[in-house]
Amino acid sequence: MSKRAPYPSPAPAPSKGEPWPGSPRYWRSLEERAKLSASSTEEAGGASGIESPEFPAGHTTTPPSDESLVFSRRGLLGAMAATFALVGAEGCRRPVEKIVPYTRMPEDVIPGVPSHYATVIARRGDAAGLLVECHEGRPTKIEGNPEHTSSYGAADQVTQATILELYDPERSQTPRKGGAPATWEAFEAELAAKLASFDKDQGTRLRLLMPPTLSPTVLRMRAALAQRFPKARVHTWAAVNDSAIREGSRIAFGEPASVLHAYERAKIIVSLDSDFLQTETSNVRSTKLFSNGRRLRSARDAQMNRLYVVEPALTTTGANADHRLRLPASDVERFAYALAAELGKQGLPLADAAASVQKRANADGIPAKWLTAVARDLLANKGRAVVIAGSRQPAAVHALALALTNLLGTTSAVGQLQIFLPVADPDELDVVEDIKALADAMGTGRVEALVILGGNPVYDAPADLGFKDKLAKVPFVVHSSLFVDETSSLATWHLPRAHEFESWGDARSVDSTVSIQQPLIAPLYAGRSDIELLGFMAKAPEKSAYDAVRRTALDFIAMMNGMQTCGPMVDGKAECRDGNGNTVPLHENDVEAQWGSGLSKGFLIRARAPMKAPALRLAEIAAAIEKRPTAVRPSGTMEVTFAACPKMVDGRFANNTWLQEAPDSVTKIVWDNAAILSPATAKALGVANKDMITIAAGGRSITAGAWIVPGQADGSVALTLGWGRTKAGRIGNGRGFDAYPLRTTDALGFAAAQVSKAGGEAYFFAQTQEHNSAEHRPIIHEATLAEYKSTPNFSEVDSPPPRSLPLWSQRDYSQGHQWGMTIDLTTCTGCSACLVACIAENNVPVVGKLEVWRGREMHWLRVDRYYIDDAKRGASEDDPIVVHEPVMCVHCEEAPCENVCPVNATTHGPEGLNEMAYNRCIGTRYCANNCPYKVRKFNYLNWHNDVVWKDTNGLPETLQMQQNPNVTVRFRGVMEKCSYCIQRIQSAKIKAKREYREVHDGEIRTACQQTCPADAIVFGDLNDPKSLATKWARVDRRFGLLAELGTRPRTTYLGKVRNPNPEMA
Amino acid sequence: MAYWEPIAELDEAPLVLPGTTLHDVTNDISIVSEQPAPRGWWICFLLAATFAGIFVLCVSYLFWRGVGVWGNTSPVYWAWDITNFVWWVGIGHAGTLISAILFIFRQKWRTGINRFAEAMTIFAVICALIFPGIHVGRPWVVYWMFPLPNQMNLWPNFKSPLLWDLFAVGTYFTVSLLFWYTGLIPDLATLRDRSTNIWRQRVYGFFALGWRGSNRHWQHYERAYLILAAISTPLVLSVHSVVSMDFATSVIPGWHTTIFPPYFVAGAVFSGFAMVETVLLIARTVFKLHRVVLMRHLELMNKFLLLTSLLVGYAYGMEFFIAWYSGNQYEMAHFLVNRPTGPFWWAWVWMVSCNCLVPQIYWFRSMRTNIPVMFIASILINIGMWFERFVIIVLSLNRDFLPSAWGYYRPTIIDVGVFSGTIGVFFTFFLLFMRWLPMVAMAEVKGTMAAADPHYGHKKHAEHDEHEHAHALAPAAEGAE
Repeated sequence: MSKRAPYPSPAPAPSKGEPWPGSPRYWRSLEERAKLSASSTEEAGGASGIESPEFPAGHTTTPPSDESLVFSRRGLLGAMAATFALVGAEGCRRPVEKIVPYTRMPEDVIPGVPSHYATVIARRGDAAGLLVECHEGRPTKIEGNPEHTSSYGAADQVTQATILELYDPERSQTPRKGGAPATWEAFEAELAAKLASFDKDQGTRLRLLMPPTLSPTVLRMRAALAQRFPKARVHTWAAVNDSAIREGSRIAFGEPASVLHAYERAKIIVSLDSDFLQTETSNVRSTKLFSNGRRLRSARDAQMNRLYVVEPALTTTGANADHRLRLPASDVERFAYALAAELGKQGLPLADAAASVQKRANADGIPAKWLTAVARDLLANKGRAVVIAGSRQPAAVHALALALTNLLGTTSAVGQLQIFLPVADPDELDVVEDIKALADAMGTGRVEALVILGGNPVYDAPADLGFKDKLAKVPFVVHSSLFVDETSSLATWHLPRAHEFESWGDARSVDSTVSIQQPLIAPLYAGRSDIELLGFMAKAPEKSAYDAVRRTALDFIAMMNGMQTCGPMVDGKAECRDGNGNTVPLHENDVEAQWGSGLSKGFLIRARAPMKAPALRLAEIAAAIEKRPTAVRPSGTMEVTFAACPKMVDGRFANNTWLQEAPDSVTKIVWDNAAILSPATAKALGVANKDMITIAAGGRSITAGAWIVPGQADGSVALTLGWGRTKAGRIGNGRGFDAYPLRTTDALGFAAAQVSKAGGEAYFFAQTQEHNSAEHRPIIHEATLAEYKSTPNFSEVDSPPPRSLPLWSQRDYSQGHQWGMTIDLTTCTGCSACLVACIAENNVPVVGKLEVWRGREMHWLRVDRYYIDDAKRGASEDDPIVVHEPVMCVHCEEAPCENVCPVNATTHGPEGLNEMAYNRCIGTRYCANNCPYKVRKFNYLNWHNDVVWKDTNGLPETLQMQQNPNVTVRFRGVMEKCSYCIQRIQSAKIKAKREYREVHDGEIRTACQQTCPADAIVFGDLNDPKSLATKWARVDRRFGLLAELGTRPRTTYLGKVRNPNPEMA
Repeated sequence: MAYWEPIAELDEAPLVLPGTTLHDVTNDISIVSEQPAPRGWWICFLLAATFAGIFVLCVSYLFWRGVGVWGNTSPVYWAWDITNFVWWVGIGHAGTLISAILFIFRQKWRTGINRFAEAMTIFAVICALIFPGIHVGRPWVVYWMFPLPNQMNLWPNFKSPLLWDLFAVGTYFTVSLLFWYTGLIPDLATLRDRSTNIWRQRVYGFFALGWRGSNRHWQHYERAYLILAAISTPLVLSVHSVVSMDFATSVIPGWHTTIFPPYFVAGAVFSGFAMVETVLLIARTVFKLHRVVLMRHLELMNKFLLLTSLLVGYAYGMEFFIAWYSGNQYEMAHFLVNRPTGPFWWAWVWMVSCNCLVPQIYWFRSMRTNIPVMFIASILINIGMWFERFVIIVLSLNRDFLPSAWGYYRPTIIDVGVFSGTIGVFFTFFLLFMRWLPMVAMAEVKGTMAAADPHYGHKKHAEHDEHEHAHALAPAAEGAE
């Protein structure tokens, strides 16, 4: 029962019979009114208002008085009735519930209005700037930060899915000693005692292991630790790493530098086994820039870059290549040398390196035109050509690729192409050497305490190190991680690690932008961040991660203000020195302002001016090439390649349902990885699709389910890392095949392997798309740049809209907003970030492997992938061209689904949207049958509670916290589909209305559009002639998917244009 | 010529075994419900009731978990559920066709089988109507399909063929039920009159509506029967035409076909006759109705089967031809590629073999009059017609426009349970009907016997033909005079 004071009356109540002073007069007839005014003028202040009683004379209007209650018959009966009623009510008592109104609201939080916070999240070698949407303090959706140069407002599928990781109900919730729950206090006491014992020998027996870091504060804490324990060593290890790239730049330029490529300015890009659009460092940035170099407005001024890809397994990058050569990963090296030799032959001054590449060039099995024509193309575009190598290629190849790009001219009229920036951690060693050193030390008993911050080395360390066995020899192991994983279960102490969205931190992007990672929610479980742990170990003066990060930020702020070293802050002022050594005061207010703006913008320091381009050291490159072994792969063996999984990365996302169910962009397999074989290899091995195969390398072997993918290099088996986890959680355990047992220190990227058929039953795979061919249907339109220029409307030629009139009377679409969308297939890379963004935004349920196999996946947006074998374009059944086409509801103006619904559950909105009323849907599924696009999804079961999360008695509460409160969670038995993110449309319209203005173009961005790293999706008002959507909808190569059926789709596509080299034909 | 008399020129034979008296007819039919059920009935009934029980269990599970317990998937959103629906509706066709259309065309041979066929219609339509009710995602709001007044002024979508379907099948069911019941009244009175047990007298008496067989009763009865037959006749054609529009009005290749309404009606009559024959052969054997259900009836039904099979075969051929002739690549891919060579080619083979090839045996009289052959053939035709609907529904959906969305369909055990369960429900109803109601229209059969003729015993008076004919044709008119 709330005990709130009643709302105060505006004036004292008037006496009986009088109306409120100043109240209007009520009258029933003109006569009465005349009488009224007469009376009021005659006797001012007398009875006014309603003069005559409402009821005729004789009618009792006064309630019975107390006296009449006692004596009158009516009153007695009334009292009795009331008594009886109250007798029954005696036992009732309203529950006492304290209503806590949101009166003391946090600043800027309005219930129902989401707020956005800028933060940053470390991703391999780059830090992605993010904006996170929060509903009442609950982060629900991740977007890229448009002002941050590593994301430009976009995010890839893995980043989109980290929000689910935050809420994973199986995250570690308490410190554990030997597996049993313990307290942080106990841990702190034990660790402090242990560390105190190391003080004597300066920490010789103390080791740390952590992934390479981008955080300046972590580096500072590490330095502080080194001060306390000068002889302790911090090792770094990450299964998916950029050590070879770093080493390559060291060889080529004498110092490790981050090298960025300005893909948007390049005309020719040669990728040597680099999946820079999906799995390499800075993939979002690269995709953004790459697609900017392919954006076509019209046929008249059409210009685009050309991408050559040499790779063993079909990747997102390979699928987008204008020319793709499938070559085993171990042969990419000799291809690089052969290409360099050819370039040298054609006049590129290779100087010292000419002889060594000539010597090592081996063009066996490489088509001649792949050397001559590519070399000619590169040389013809001097100053606008980029050669890049994949992270699994050896350092020498990276050095050579950097050298080739450099020699082809890095600056030209269009600007710099190869940009050098300082690395985040100058002391980082080659991770393989580093973990090897640690393993050796562990093996010889020189390590007494090992603190592992993040990572999961027991699962992902190179197999030949025997890390697991050696870990047993370390008496005191601490492992801090999000999950109780393979490593945690062997550690003395497991510590729950705070998620990036729960803790303060900072990170430095490749381009040296420094951003603050600000927590969006208090730690859900008792997690602590690495900074706090390192600070504790180093006895750092900062007591919290916040203080530590702020202290680091202070240094950056001072640096921005032209100062170098600052003393501690005293009385709101710090003494600093400027470049000339003069003492300058730094005021706390200034610091506060810059810190605050850094937090709200999402970065403290913008990308810094690139370093001066270092001199190329061709002699060192030559020496490095000479040192490479000649025969990487013994003849007669096959090759197994390891690549970062686009979804699991190195295995860290194994327990993430969204990523498990996001189809692989090439195979469209979900909930598994597979050993990818080419059709010819499979035939030679006698292996059919889904058969189990044994892959043996370095004396170890694994069995994995085979999947035949055209476009895979012959003689090469591709495996992605991060699968086959044993202690990932209920979602991730036992999914897919673990490739780590084959991965050794000398073969992190690929290894020679023996492959044979394993026999036994075929593996059970589930795919979201089972048919690979477009069956020559006019559903995806492709042209070369030359064809596009000669036939700008090539897409509409094949599938013109019908001339027949629609069946039903036409709507008037000329008024108000008319929403529409256009998807540019030329820039779409098929990376599937949109798919995960859609899941996150629209509470799309996860259905599990079995139900996907049945065909019941619920994704509102799917990315179709077709293989095309066109001999004219040099594509064959074994080596096809790949196209991607995102398909979601196209919001037909003549929607087949609307006519057939018996209960009007799907109808056409006034703004051209095909709308779904879930409440009205009875689930006849007729609409989905009649949808030619098959974009409608049916809740066959209660997906949220009844399938994947059945054993937990429904979707766990933490996962419910992720759900978007503006989108209905659908119950079983109803149909659902893409709504063009109608909740975003509505909130933008409400906002515009409150501000008395029109909705701006670009103000409404659908979830898929917002996250698209390639900016391939545009949404807007088609009635606004100036909107981008209208402009895109009028581009010459647009087409409506299946428009020939007369559906008049609102979503249109722009045909795919590729830019093949005529010489390669 | 008396109407009851076989036309020698047409090589006809009497409709009742010669020597059968009116009493024999009454006795043969009525005794079924008056004596304890034979062992064969009990065996059949227990079997059918078991399957009906399975049906109840499967549907309960279906309601508990959702439609996902079936194999329906994306893109095959309709599968066995609607296949079964259309199949049962089709079976429900023969009854009214035999009763109404043949009645109007004065095909007197129908009297031996029309009660059966009508009962079968009722039960088949009940089985059919189960599916639209249970196949929806949220069966508890299935009543939203009906145009019920509500405060939100929300009406069903009258553009939707599903709604037309509901009205068509609902009307058909109502009219068929009335028609069947009207026909039953004189026979119920016969059973009442023969009853020696008070309860039988009361129950049959209640349903006999006080029938005394007076001239006036007969006059009203005949008129009502004729009116109902006239109402039913267009319904026979409309119901399956409308069902076919569930498919024909869509855009999906394989569904979007103008030939569907007549093709579906022909198919329905085909499957309906096959089912009547299956059931009739069982009943004739179990209850020994050889005197009333003659080989002649069966042979005529087989001729009908042959005719409708040819119609259906023509439709199959025409679908192929139009797909090719249209030049539409989606149509061609569906009819010329997916049906015969796609992942469900076997279903297509079942359909063509059972529906087009099997009935060809009826070109031969020896086959038309061979009971084991026709029993097997009738079951094969039922299977074939089930596959026809499966082919139309599943094969059209599994591969439509965008190959990326193509998918396979696999039924689950619940699918099998529900389908076999409805067969159990059907036979449960049917066996109860055979046990407790006159399964042959006694009054009508008697009307075709020589004893029913006012000029009984006078053979072939050519000069009296006109006169006699008029009398015989219109007993109702006679009574009104």
